[in-house]
Amino acid sequence: MRQHALILFAGAASFVAFGGPAARADTPCKKEDIRFINSMREIAQPYHADLDKGGRLFVQSVGLNDKQYVLQLNQSDSDKQVSLMRAVLATNPGCTVFNVEPNNLPEVRLIVQTANQTGAWVVTHWSHPDGFYPYQQGNDHWIAHIGVNSLDAGVSVSRSLVNAMGGQGGIVALQGILENKPAQLRFAGLQKVLAENPGVTLLDQQTANWDRSQAFPIVQAWLSKYGDKIKAIWAANDDMALGAVEALRAQGLAGKIPVVGVDGIPEAIQAVKTGEMTATVSSDAYYQGSIGLAMGYCVLTGQAPMPAKWTNEQRNFNLRLITISKDNVDQYLNPPPASAYAGDWDCNKLWSRDTGPAD
Amino acid sequence: MAELGHARVSPVGRRVARREVGASTIAATLRRNVLAWTPALALGVLCIAFSIADARFASLANIHTLASQAALPLILATGMTFIILQGSIDLSVEGVMAACSLTFALLVRNSRTGLDLGVLAIVAASLLGACFGVANGALITRLRVPSFMVTLGTWSITSGVAMLISGGQPPQIRDMAMRNWALGDSLGVPNLIVVAIVFLAVGYLLQTYTRFGRYSYIVGSSEDIARLSGVAVDRFKVLAFAFCGLSSGLAGALESARLGLGHVQIGANQMFLALTAVVIGGTSLSGGRGGVVQSMVGVLILTVLANGMIFVGVTPYLQTAVQGAIILLAVIAATWHLRGRLRVVK
Amino acid sequence: MTAPVLSVNAVCKRYPGVQALDRVSLAVGMNEVVGLIGQNGSGKSTLLKILAGLVKPDEGSVLVRGRPFAGGFAAAASAGIGMVFQEQSLILNVTVAENILLGCEGEAVRYGFYDWPKLRALARRQLDKLGCDIPPEAITGTLSFAQRQMVELAKSIAVEDRVGGDPIILLDEPTSVLDADDIDTVLTQIERLRSHAAIIFVSHRLDEVLRVCDRVYVMTNGRCVAECNAKEANPAVLQQLMLGTQLIEEYQRDGRQACLVEEIRLSVRNLRCRTNYQDISFDLHPGEIVGFAGVEGSGRESLCRTIYGVEAPTGGEVLVDGREVRFRGPADAVALGIGYVPSERRVEGIVSGMSVRENMTLAHLDVVRRGGLIDLGRERSLVAQLMQRMNIKAPSPNTLAGQLSGGNQQKVVLAKCLISEQPRILILDHPLRGLDVGAKAEIFRQVRELAASGMGVLLIADTLEELIALSDTILVMRDGRITARFQASEHIPEPIEILEHMI
Repeated sequence: MRQHALILFAGAASFVAFGGPAARADTPCKKEDIRFINSMREIAQPYHADLDKGGRLFVQSVGLNDKQYVLQLNQSDSDKQVSLMRAVLATNPGCTVFNVEPNNLPEVRLIVQTANQTGAWVVTHWSHPDGFYPYQQGNDHWIAHIGVNSLDAGVSVSRSLVNAMGGQGGIVALQGILENKPAQLRFAGLQKVLAENPGVTLLDQQTANWDRSQAFPIVQAWLSKYGDKIKAIWAANDDMALGAVEALRAQGLAGKIPVVGVDGIPEAIQAVKTGEMTATVSSDAYYQGSIGLAMGYCVLTGQAPMPAKWTNEQRNFNLRLITISKDNVDQYLNPPPASAYAGDWDCNKLWSRDTGPAD
Repeated sequence: MAELGHARVSPVGRRVARREVGASTIAATLRRNVLAWTPALALGVLCIAFSIADARFASLANIHTLASQAALPLILATGMTFIILQGSIDLSVEGVMAACSLTFALLVRNSRTGLDLGVLAIVAASLLGACFGVANGALITRLRVPSFMVTLGTWSITSGVAMLISGGQPPQIRDMAMRNWALGDSLGVPNLIVVAIVFLAVGYLLQTYTRFGRYSYIVGSSEDIARLSGVAVDRFKVLAFAFCGLSSGLAGALESARLGLGHVQIGANQMFLALTAVVIGGTSLSGGRGGVVQSMVGVLILTVLANGMIFVGVTPYLQTAVQGAIILLAVIAATWHLRGRLRVVK
Repeated sequence: MTAPVLSVNAVCKRYPGVQALDRVSLAVGMNEVVGLIGQNGSGKSTLLKILAGLVKPDEGSVLVRGRPFAGGFAAAASAGIGMVFQEQSLILNVTVAENILLGCEGEAVRYGFYDWPKLRALARRQLDKLGCDIPPEAITGTLSFAQRQMVELAKSIAVEDRVGGDPIILLDEPTSVLDADDIDTVLTQIERLRSHAAIIFVSHRLDEVLRVCDRVYVMTNGRCVAECNAKEANPAVLQQLMLGTQLIEEYQRDGRQACLVEEIRLSVRNLRCRTNYQDISFDLHPGEIVGFAGVEGSGRESLCRTIYGVEAPTGGEVLVDGREVRFRGPADAVALGIGYVPSERRVEGIVSGMSVRENMTLAHLDVVRRGGLIDLGRERSLVAQLMQRMNIKAPSPNTLAGQLSGGNQQKVVLAKCLISEQPRILILDHPLRGLDVGAKAEIFRQVRELAASGMGVLLIADTLEELIALSDTILVMRDGRITARFQASEHIPEPIEILEHMI
């Protein structure tokens, strides 16, 4: 009698301790049952293609079937990102891991709520709404948020640019989509560096909306307007930087005027090698596309503790950015093998690229 | 029993009537000609205004830039003109540009395939565009679905095809001769504008001297009457879409050559610009009126506007709004005289 | 008569609710002009459409030159059948030459390329046959209505060059909107064409039909009820056959009101509008019908459009019930109780895609409205009343207005003005254009009843006889000024008297 009571009590206690649906996740999943889902905006840009490749590399590296990997594209539609997520959670939510590039800030809340309600697991990237954190009460299924310090990215490339032009002269800046947080932060990074370098003036700035076809005519117009007052060109991403390079090429100036961008796409790395671009900053798409899946894998197979037991910083950190310039470009010319990331995917070292807490 | 007779009016009366008609016709012709020139006037005003704001706007270097920037929209607008003349619309321009851009990039010397077709690749991409256009036309005429719906669908399909081909690894064009040609000049004139002008001339010839061109006006004015007169309306519709597809393919290939890669987003925003240019230039959306020369004026207005705003230094946060406002003003100015009491506006 | 080049055998065609053609047979021989007369709705237009290949008959057959004609527009064209439509079928944005030769440019277009001089020459040839001096390179939209009708005719004549010279030409009311000189030209052309063509000529105008035709077929209610030789025909008998019942009574006006009411409904003082008209002054009393006589360009149409608020005057004043009014648009005029029946009913009068019922209540929804919704019961009863009163022949109030015959359409337009509380001023712009005898008589009666009930009516009529028959007062206009006034109560003018002041 007493034994029954004890068992009942233990059962009730564990039920209470783990808050209902979360109790389901207590049982580790068999690795063949885990579903790995990469949710991103689109696949046309090399950055996103590399996110996808990273995810697939990881799944293969742990000896699992490609069928357990799913790619969800939302084409910049926030509602779609959430509804795609919900659709797939009809079955086996407790063993599903999402590695998410959120389309917009508000969605992050919806995505996390969905995870909390259904028992699925989520790792987010880039940015989340202010005051909303994985380590808050109730967000047990939000494993972690891996942020990118876009301000640092902006600062880093801007410094490379200013150095390349010898700290003197005029520059022009191509901004990303003006409402995007990363766009604003990167530009803020530029402005910070400009404040430190009074010899450098910002002649003009326009938005090319992350797109090289839009960057091209803008730079053409600037070359007409400012002529050789332009000593360097700053772009908030590589695609626009490459558009600027083409406009320079039309005037025979490619490689003679420093250009920087952000993202670290292969084409930009090539351009750094040939000298047409001066520097770019990479958040390492392979890493971003795989680390969330790795974290989920480790948690679900019991090789890592439950997120509730992680420290605040382990659940909300900024990753280490890599500035690629001609000094280190050779390392990055070819796509990396899986072994390059073995260290990051190791269940004991999941936080190896932590450079500090995200805001 | 009285018969239903009618009064006999002497020749004098008739002459009187004719004279009245003649006089009003001259006035009407004059009025019509002045109005037809309104877009050109608007263009002139814009050029002068921007030149006053910044003298470098009118410099040779900037004219060179303007020509280079107007080249591809001009090609697209020429193709789009025949569609609008017929009273249809083609929304698939961006998707076709993307698909042809990728195809072109894979056919020239590039980072992914071993082909090296050079100029033939431009021809191939244009022909591919024409094929997409024929598909559009066939769907519209056979299935009797409005062009708006069909081309909306083919926009997605062709974009999807482009993404498939691109596969996240946009092919980079390594044919430097081709790229330098696209970026460069002949005798100081950008090569791409030469192509665009030739294309415009072809469009003008089509519009004035071929059955396809003349019947486009007729089909656009009244499809019923055209059919009643035995005109093979469907055939000309397909031809118009084929021509528009051809222009999209050509534009996609040339832009790829200029930027150096096959790019899924290569057509972004181009359809809206081409359509706006055609309408501002004076080709009516309801069909039957306008032409390629008018569309050229429209393209120039938009190009001058975009370029001029950068010169003047309009903050990027305002540019879209300013562009919209000026387009609205241009359209109002062009149709001001028509705001008679009984005019129907759809 | 030689072997018929075109023969119609027991052709039947049924539209929902109405038997348009009921076992109609006729034959036309080469070099023969055959007239087809009948009221609106008798099936003439349907028959012509079948012959032109636009419509397929349900039963019966059509033989062209002895061979069965399967229908279809292309087949008709290659069989040398050309048709002039009752409503214009020209493209306004292209040149006259292109319109005339549309679909049959022949050698002027080689391998898809236009030889403009040749095209213009070919068009010129057709226009010369009509004695017309319209330049072939003119844009069709810039021509006047009458000029366009000439182009329309040239277009159908062009068919004779398409088929080695033995065309069959179908003319559907080609003269109903022309003035006398143009009518003469058309009739002369028909005479000329007869030498190498077969012609079917449809018209309401008995005198024209009897003038040019060899034989005449009479149609009523979809049946061909008579065939006779034009020379021997008795117009009265033909009219009787057309109507199917007894002779229509004289619609000439008799017993005029000697005195008009003192009150003035509409007053126009020194009204001026650019070059259209100057210095127009007149009064309209309730119950009075004022008719305007004048040739095209005299300014009478423009004057009426001004009173209705479509065109703004440049000087002078308009007073309604003693108060000066300035219209910003037709809505203002309608609000004051001015109704307008336009001359081109297909373009300006009815919405062909809407039903009879909807067309009638269109301008005055408030009459059948309760709250924000249409009171269907009220609408139904009002519409039924009006249909009966105006004798509108339609299968049901929900029939599409575009499917009615011309006369019935005109009645719908008239009814539209009456649906509200009686309009106080009614402007009729060529109300009888294109209508047959029976329809005209009815409209006459309606208009007189309306005037008798206190409405003021401004009238522009097609012919002087109609004007004289209907008006209490006649104002003659020339070159934008009023040149003469006639009061019926004092003296009913002869047409020739009016003519002197018109030209």
